[in-house]
Amino acid sequence: MITRPFISISIRKLAISLLLLVSVSASAQLKFFSIQKDSIPFFRGFAVSFDLVGLAMMELSDYGQYEGALRINLHDEWFPIAELGYGKASHVNDPVTHISYKTSAPYFRIGIDKNLLKQKHGPYRLYAGLRYAFTKYKVDLTRDNFPDPVWLWDTGFGVKDEQCSYHWLEIALGADATIWGPLHLGWSVRYKRRIAHKDGVLGRTWYVPGYGVDGDTRLGGTFNVIIDI
Amino acid sequence: MNRQYKLIVSLLSVVISSCSSIDCPINNTVSVQYEIRDKTGAALSIKDSLTVVTTRQDGYDVLVDITTYDDNKTTVLNRLVDRSDFSLPISYSHPEDVLYFCFKDSVKTVVDTVWIKKDDIPHFESVDCSASFFHELTDVRHTHNAIDSLVLINRSVTYDYKTIHFYLYPKTGN
Repeated sequence: MITRPFISISIRKLAISLLLLVSVSASAQLKFFSIQKDSIPFFRGFAVSFDLVGLAMMELSDYGQYEGALRINLHDEWFPIAELGYGKASHVNDPVTHISYKTSAPYFRIGIDKNLLKQKHGPYRLYAGLRYAFTKYKVDLTRDNFPDPVWLWDTGFGVKDEQCSYHWLEIALGADATIWGPLHLGWSVRYKRRIAHKDGVLGRTWYVPGYGVDGDTRLGGTFNVIIDI
Repeated sequence: MNRQYKLIVSLLSVVISSCSSIDCPINNTVSVQYEIRDKTGAALSIKDSLTVVTTRQDGYDVLVDITTYDDNKTTVLNRLVDRSDFSLPISYSHPEDVLYFCFKDSVKTVVDTVWIKKDDIPHFESVDCSASFFHELTDVRHTHNAIDSLVLINRSVTYDYKTIHFYLYPKTGN
């Protein structure tokens, strides 16, 4: 004779399994956020860094940014960070569309990185981090007068000092290595997601200071020269 | 070593996938959509041919001789028959478009003048995409020779070519 288990027993088993899962997950989360216990002091100082990718973009293309950051080192594990930059685009008379686009504005990001390596206090670090970023910028968009295709009337196109703003989040994955004394070199790859924006009457904007070209790609990167202070 | 190799491969794939692209809209025509309707509100296929002419110069009297071609006017719809819907261009940046709707049967041609007022809004996608204008239709008026009424139902004119902007009710018997 086959006996069917009571429903209450099944529910009890399910509840116990869920509780175990939650407790295991909670303990894993606590471990992730806890600070390793050792003789190294909690506060390990500051570091400043400068991004070379934005600088190279500025020199080699129509847009780019100057960017620096200040990072706090908490026990070589957690790194609260503030990034400040100045983004600029000057695309003059596109050879196909004849549109000119100009903007320049400061931007900032704040966030935190976590060192994922087991050996926290070694010369290498592997980071995962999160940033919130914001910029408020003005756009000049112009195009030489052109004829309406049907009516042939001369048509002007453009806006001046159109006020726009952009909020976005970035997930960062990066690494750095100690080169000599307080000098480190490091890179990071960023995945960006816009969370709010205001594009004025234009409908869209093109280069957003700090974010890059809107709608182009959600990935970006930095290569940093870092100095411990 | 194996772990480092995996990390490098992962990073390379991220870099390759981050190549940029030009993302201009496929449909980038901005036009006004009309639907011809009978008194019951059903779509009505036009039996007379409909030609629409516009003037390229303010104050120019097209009606003096609408059948001849000259540089001051242009045809924007040519001999539409057996259709209940059509689209017409809209000027980029002129406060009011003047259109002449010419209904022609085997005997006569009846012309109605339509004035469409609008606000023009520059629309930008990217420096790689052509400049365009969206519009907000603000007013319409017309003569009543063959058109009974022209009803504005959607004011916003964009790349959306599926939204009807005007219902055109012809007079019965035309």
